[in-house]
Amino acid sequence: MNIRDNWRIVLLAVFVVGSGVALFAPVAGGATDDGGLTNLQYGIQLDGGTSLQAPAVGITAEGVNVSVDDETALAQNVSAAVSVDPIDVRVSARSQTVEVFSRNATQDQLRDALIAEGYQPDSVRDGVTQQTREDMVQVIQDKVQESALSGGSVSTINGIEGTFISITAPDRDQEELQSLLDERGVVRIYAVHQNDNGSFVQDQVLRQDDFKSIGFARKDQGEAVVPVTIRNSVAERFQQEMVEYGFGQARRCGVNRDSASNVSDVDDYCLVTTLNGEVVFSGGVQQNLATSFANGEFANGPNFRMTTGQNMTQAKDLEISLRAGRLPAPLDFDNARVQSLEPSMGQEFRMDSLIIGIMAVLSVSGMIYLRYRDPRVALPMIVTALSEVFILLGFVALVQYPLNLSHIAGFIAVVGTGADDLIIIADEILQREDITTDRVFQNRFRKAFWVIGAAAATTIIAMSPLTVLSLGDLSGFAIVTIVGVLIGVLITRPAYGDVLRNLILEE
Amino acid sequence: MIEFEVPEIDYTRYSNRQLAAVPLAVLTVALVVLASAWAITGSPVALGIDFTGGSQMTVQSDMSPAELQAAFSPDPVSVQGVQRYTDRYVLTFSESNIGNLREQAESAGLSVLGSGSTPASFGADSMRIGMIGVGIAFLGMSILAFALFRTFVPSVAIIVSAFSDLMIPLAVLSLLGVKLSLGTIAGLLMLIGYSVDSDILLNNHILRRRGEFYESTYQAMETGVTMTLTSLVAMAVMAILATFFNIQVMAQIGFVLVIGLAADLMNTYMLNLSLLRWYKFRGVKR
Repeated sequence: MNIRDNWRIVLLAVFVVGSGVALFAPVAGGATDDGGLTNLQYGIQLDGGTSLQAPAVGITAEGVNVSVDDETALAQNVSAAVSVDPIDVRVSARSQTVEVFSRNATQDQLRDALIAEGYQPDSVRDGVTQQTREDMVQVIQDKVQESALSGGSVSTINGIEGTFISITAPDRDQEELQSLLDERGVVRIYAVHQNDNGSFVQDQVLRQDDFKSIGFARKDQGEAVVPVTIRNSVAERFQQEMVEYGFGQARRCGVNRDSASNVSDVDDYCLVTTLNGEVVFSGGVQQNLATSFANGEFANGPNFRMTTGQNMTQAKDLEISLRAGRLPAPLDFDNARVQSLEPSMGQEFRMDSLIIGIMAVLSVSGMIYLRYRDPRVALPMIVTALSEVFILLGFVALVQYPLNLSHIAGFIAVVGTGADDLIIIADEILQREDITTDRVFQNRFRKAFWVIGAAAATTIIAMSPLTVLSLGDLSGFAIVTIVGVLIGVLITRPAYGDVLRNLILEE
Repeated sequence: MIEFEVPEIDYTRYSNRQLAAVPLAVLTVALVVLASAWAITGSPVALGIDFTGGSQMTVQSDMSPAELQAAFSPDPVSVQGVQRYTDRYVLTFSESNIGNLREQAESAGLSVLGSGSTPASFGADSMRIGMIGVGIAFLGMSILAFALFRTFVPSVAIIVSAFSDLMIPLAVLSLLGVKLSLGTIAGLLMLIGYSVDSDILLNNHILRRRGEFYESTYQAMETGVTMTLTSLVAMAVMAILATFFNIQVMAQIGFVLVIGLAADLMNTYMLNLSLLRWYKFRGVKR
C-alpha cells in the first residue's frame, strides 16, 4: 500500500486527527476550561438559558433636511411636541432622519411636529434606523457580557416585517434577561439644594456621557460603592455648580434613600443619582470632597465614589448602567420571540439527544450489515460514516458554533445521507463482474461519484434557503447538513472508495 | 437471522398505466385531503404556534391535567403529558405573553422547566418565510434536475415524484391533526434533498448507462431501496426516541421524513419508473 495511491485515505486520517485536536485539545476559552469533556459549545437548548428576538420600539421620519447645527434644537422641539422625554428623540443630520423611541408617539404626531418646525419628511415609518440598531446591539452586548458568567451573543436578524435584535444569554432565565434589557439604564445625577425662597429644588448636574470611567462595584467598609471618574471637560463646570448649590461645605444627607423613590421627594442637601428615574443613590458630600470643590482641586482629579448603601445589587446595576450606557431605544417585548430553558432540562436534552444519535448510528450500521453481510465491506462503511460525524463535530468545535437540538437532527441527517452515498459507491464497485484493473475501478468510481455529486447538490440546494432565511434556529440545522454533505463528498466518501479498491485488488 | 434483500419485481407484468395509477391515486387523495382541509379550516394543514403565535411551557407538577388546565387564565389550548415522566406536562397557549403565563405558573406552585413564545406577527412572518424557503428549494431542485438530465420527461418524472413526496406527508399531517411547525418545514426541505437521491440514481442507471432496461432498473433498485430504507430507519429511530424524550423539533423532522421516504419508495419505483419506461420505449427522443 503506497501513499500516493491512497492519498484520499491519508487525507481522511489527517482530518480525523485534526478534528480530534479541535474537539479535545485544551484551548484557552474553550469549554474544556469549564470542566467539559470537549471543546463543543452548547446553545441554550442543550445548556439552558434564554434567547430572545425582539424589534426595537420607535418610529422614524426619513428625508428630514436638517443641518448639524439644528440637531439639538429640533430634538428638543420634537420631544416637546409629541410629549416624550428628550432622550427618546434622536435627530441625525448625517442620515437625515428623526427617530422617536416611544410607544405613545404616533407617525402622524411626528409628521405634524416636523412640519410645524418647517421640515418636510419624505416618509414616516415604524421602526428605527440601522445606526440605532447597531448602537443597541453594542449596548446590549456590553450589558450581557458585563453581567453574564459566560458569553452571550447579540446580533440583528432580518425578517420580512423588519429587523429584529436577537439576544442569547446562556446563563439567564427569562425574567432575569428581560429585566436586564428592560432597564434602559438612564443615569442622572441631581444636586438637591435650597433656592432663595428656602424650598428645595433639584438641578441635574451630571448625565451619563459626563462619566469618563467607572470602577467596579465593591463592598467597602460595609457600604456598596462604585468609584467613578468624570470627564475633565465637565469637571470645572460640575465643581462650580456644586459650590454654587452649596456643596462647598460638607453636607449630610438626611433623607433615607429607601423612603425616597423619586428625586422630588428629597428635601435636604443631597446628591441624588437616579437609575431609570428611580433613586439609587442619595448621599451627602464628605468634608474632603467638599473642600476640593471649594478650593478648585477637584477639577485636577475629578473622581469620587457613589454608594448605594448596603445594597450591592443596586450598586452592580448602577455600575452596569453606567458602563453599558443606555439602550438607545427600548425593545418591544410584546412582539418578542422568547425561548427559555432551565439548565437541568438542557443537561437532560444533551444526554437524550446523544442517545438518539447513537441509536440512529447503530440502526444505520445494522441495516448496512444486514445488506452486505461482509464485514470487510460493511465495517469500513460504518467507520467511514462515523468519521464523517466526527469531522463534522470537529468543525463545529473549531468554529465554536453553539449546538442546539436542531443541529443534532442535522447530524443524524448527515449520518443518513452519508450512509446512502457509501451504499452507492459500494454497489457500483462491487456489482457486476469482478474488477481486474485499476482503470476499471477508477471508471466505476467516477460513475458512482456522478450520482453522489448530483445527490449532494440537491441536498445543498434544498437546504440553502434555510441558511439565509431567519426561521427560528433552523439555519443551524441547514448549515450542519450542508457542511456535513460537503465533508462527505470531498473527504470521507472518496476515502471509502480507496478502501474498497485495496480490498478488491488484493484478491 | 433476518435476511435483507431487495426483491426483484417483474415489472413486465404491469403496464405503465397500471404502475402509475397507484401513486397518482395516492397523490390525488393527498391533494383532496389538503384541499378539503383548506376549504373547511382555511389552511391545508393546521398551523402550530410557530406560525399562529402562542406559547408553550414545560412544567413539573403533581397536579392532574385538569387542575393544570384550571390554573391558568386564559386556559391552555392543550395539556400534554410527557411520555417518560409522570409529573411533567407540556402546556400550549394561544396567548404569547409568556412572562405573564410564567408568573401564573409560579404562583400556582409549578416549576417551569422551559418555555417558548412566538408573537402572532412573528408567526405570520415565519409562515411566509417558510413557504418562500420551500418554494425556492423546490425550484432549485427542479432546475438542477433539468440541468442534470437535459431531457424533458425524466426531469419531469423527478419533479413530479418530489412534489408527491411533499404532498403525501402534508396530507398525513392534516389527517392526523398534527400541527405544522418549524421542524416540519425543516423536514420538508430535507425531504426535497433526500427523496430526489433515489430518483437521480434510477434515472442515471436507466438513461446514462448501457445495458438492458430491466437489468439497469433492478440494479438501481437494489442500491436505491437499501439507501432509502437505511435513511428511513435512521429517521424512524429519531422520531420514536425524540417523541419519547419530548424533543419536539427532532420528532417533527423525523416524522415528516419517515412518511416522506416511505412515499418516495412508492413514487420512485412506480411513478418515476413508469414515466421512464414510457420515455425509453415509446417516447420521442429529442
